[in-house]
Amino acid sequence: MSPTKKDLPPYTDYTFDMFIKSAGKDHAEITQFNEWRRQVLGADMYTFQIPHLGAQRPEVSVQRVSGDRLDLISLSSYNYLGYSYHPEVLAAAKEALDLYGLGATGSPVLNGTFRIHEVLEDKLIEFFGMPGYGVSLFSSGYGANIGVVSAYAHKGDVVVLDRLSHASLVDGAILSQATVKLFKHNDAEHLDRVLSRLDHKNLRILVCTEGVYSADGDTGHVKDIVRVSKKYGATVLVDEAHSLLIAGENGRGVSEEQGVLDEVDMIIATFSKSFGGVGGCLFAREELTNYVNWYARSRMFSCALDPAVTGGLIKALELAGGPDGKVKRERIKANADYLRSLLQGEVDIGNSHSWIIPVIFGDEHLYIPLSDYLQREGVDASLMSFPAVPKNQSRIRLFVTSEHTKAQLERGAEVILKAAEHFGFLLEN
Amino acid sequence: MVNYDNAKDLLTWEFDFALSTYYEIETEAIEHLLPKQLNPIEVAPGIALMSLTALNFPPGALGHLPEFQELIFGLIVTPDLSRGVPKFAMYIVSLSSTNREHLEHCVQHYRLPVHGQFTGVSLQHDPHVVEYEDADGPILSMRNIHPNPAYGEGERYFQAFVMDNDRLYVADVVMKGSLFEHQQTGDAGKLWPHPFYNGVDVEAAEPVAFMQMLNEPGTMGKQLYPRPEKFR
Ligand SMILES: Cc1ncc(COP(=O)(O)O)c(C=O)c1O
Repeated sequence: MSPTKKDLPPYTDYTFDMFIKSAGKDHAEITQFNEWRRQVLGADMYTFQIPHLGAQRPEVSVQRVSGDRLDLISLSSYNYLGYSYHPEVLAAAKEALDLYGLGATGSPVLNGTFRIHEVLEDKLIEFFGMPGYGVSLFSSGYGANIGVVSAYAHKGDVVVLDRLSHASLVDGAILSQATVKLFKHNDAEHLDRVLSRLDHKNLRILVCTEGVYSADGDTGHVKDIVRVSKKYGATVLVDEAHSLLIAGENGRGVSEEQGVLDEVDMIIATFSKSFGGVGGCLFAREELTNYVNWYARSRMFSCALDPAVTGGLIKALELAGGPDGKVKRERIKANADYLRSLLQGEVDIGNSHSWIIPVIFGDEHLYIPLSDYLQREGVDASLMSFPAVPKNQSRIRLFVTSEHTKAQLERGAEVILKAAEHFGFLLEN
Repeated sequence: MVNYDNAKDLLTWEFDFALSTYYEIETEAIEHLLPKQLNPIEVAPGIALMSLTALNFPPGALGHLPEFQELIFGLIVTPDLSRGVPKFAMYIVSLSSTNREHLEHCVQHYRLPVHGQFTGVSLQHDPHVVEYEDADGPILSMRNIHPNPAYGEGERYFQAFVMDNDRLYVADVVMKGSLFEHQQTGDAGKLWPHPFYNGVDVEAAEPVAFMQMLNEPGTMGKQLYPRPEKFR
């Protein structure tokens, strides 16, 4: 029997938006959040921030709060091409570590830029094959988005966001103090209506979209969005966080795949995903990156990218740009297709065409018990629920990598289907 | 969930119809209505939520009152978590109903901002559809968007804030019944420009349905509503 709402403990009744803020001076949200956390911990159901005991490989070991060690199939890491533990990447990182030390210990504009940062910039320009372009490096993808959006747009300008935009784009828009407009997810026609109502002849407008959306694993309609934006003279930013090195014939992302790479004004990359490291960058015409280097506050007022990571990123990029990348791109797509084939018809996997596959279980009350169940049954998965996704559309987000074997994907799917039966979200045939 | 031991004059209202829609609306369009102690919850930068709740009370819902219908216009605001963790908190901007005695009670007992009395209400239980109008013309038509609601017995605790004579009051309200909440996108009906909205230009603001809550047709729900108390 699957658990009904009545059987579920009170802490499952809370969604994560409920402790954001409280009216008044006494910070009751902190007290209430800690009370909720204590209850979940007390029930030994706390699966958050669980320490991983080694690299993010397809099989990982974690340690529960109780001290129990669990060996899991990992379907939750966006280490898409396995570069975070690739021996050549690690060797390059170690070499850079020996040469430059642990941290950059300075702002990139002042004293924190090392030769190795310039090498990464050059390699990225080479990878995209676009002379006249430049790179602005950031120490996180989040920092890249908030820095770039707020350096480009200001009070009086307009930032137009897809409704499902990543938090870093939303936060960048807030920080910019520009007027924010939303368009329906991936809906170029609606974007057209939104833009047509603005004083587009006089206003500076920045339209933001993404290569692959990580809640649904669907692809951004970049080509249509570029076409509509250009009609109104708007600037286009594409966040290729989940698609760079994977989508497109050469791994240059969804913008390459849809044939609009040279029409996109700003490409955002994160190095925390397919690169297997950490950091992010803006790829754009050099004039713009020169400016962003100085005026993105999350860059100017934050330490430069870690040199050892930078060394590893250069190697990962070199591998991804050569035969290794080609093989891995084919393999991750085949693996995603294979996992989809194991789940399709059994559970609701939405509309995913990418390496991110949602398994929609619906009821947000199941979030904690399901998360706990999956971990105990042997799968490391990341769940999403309201308000990150709409009510009754909570989901397990499965990240497939090029490094999973068929047997690992089969074992993962088996656990997911067992959970679906236990919690009552198997599709009725 | 809510402890009513010390609640003042707790009344239980039985209803057989509830349809509530939260609409996204630009914060700019509603900000001026909020007292300084309260802040709108924003679902996106510059996008707040306003709610419209239609209820039907069958005869005897409270004492001798005949059947009547009610409509409440509220803004979703930051709750006071020191009172407990509610599903939401609402600042009530205006309220109308079909029954004069009920409206007087709302003012005296609950300090509610009564707008007036409806002249026309049409209400369909299944699927949920309502239309309200008064002497100034139509106010809204509202319908459930979800094609197949999955109702479940539940309790929803919310905080209801009201302003009376420049003072802010709050009540801890609990709604019980066989309920369903969803975020299906689609056409939830129309809001007509009307003084009921207290200066919010609902036509220009083009509200978009964000969430809906409804009760199961043919079942009775309860609203436990104490007299509001002073808020700080
Ligand atoms: C679309 C998107 N953009 C930006 C980021 C932020 O990147 P990072 O984790 O490297 O800071 C993420 C991270 O999840 C993302 O999914």
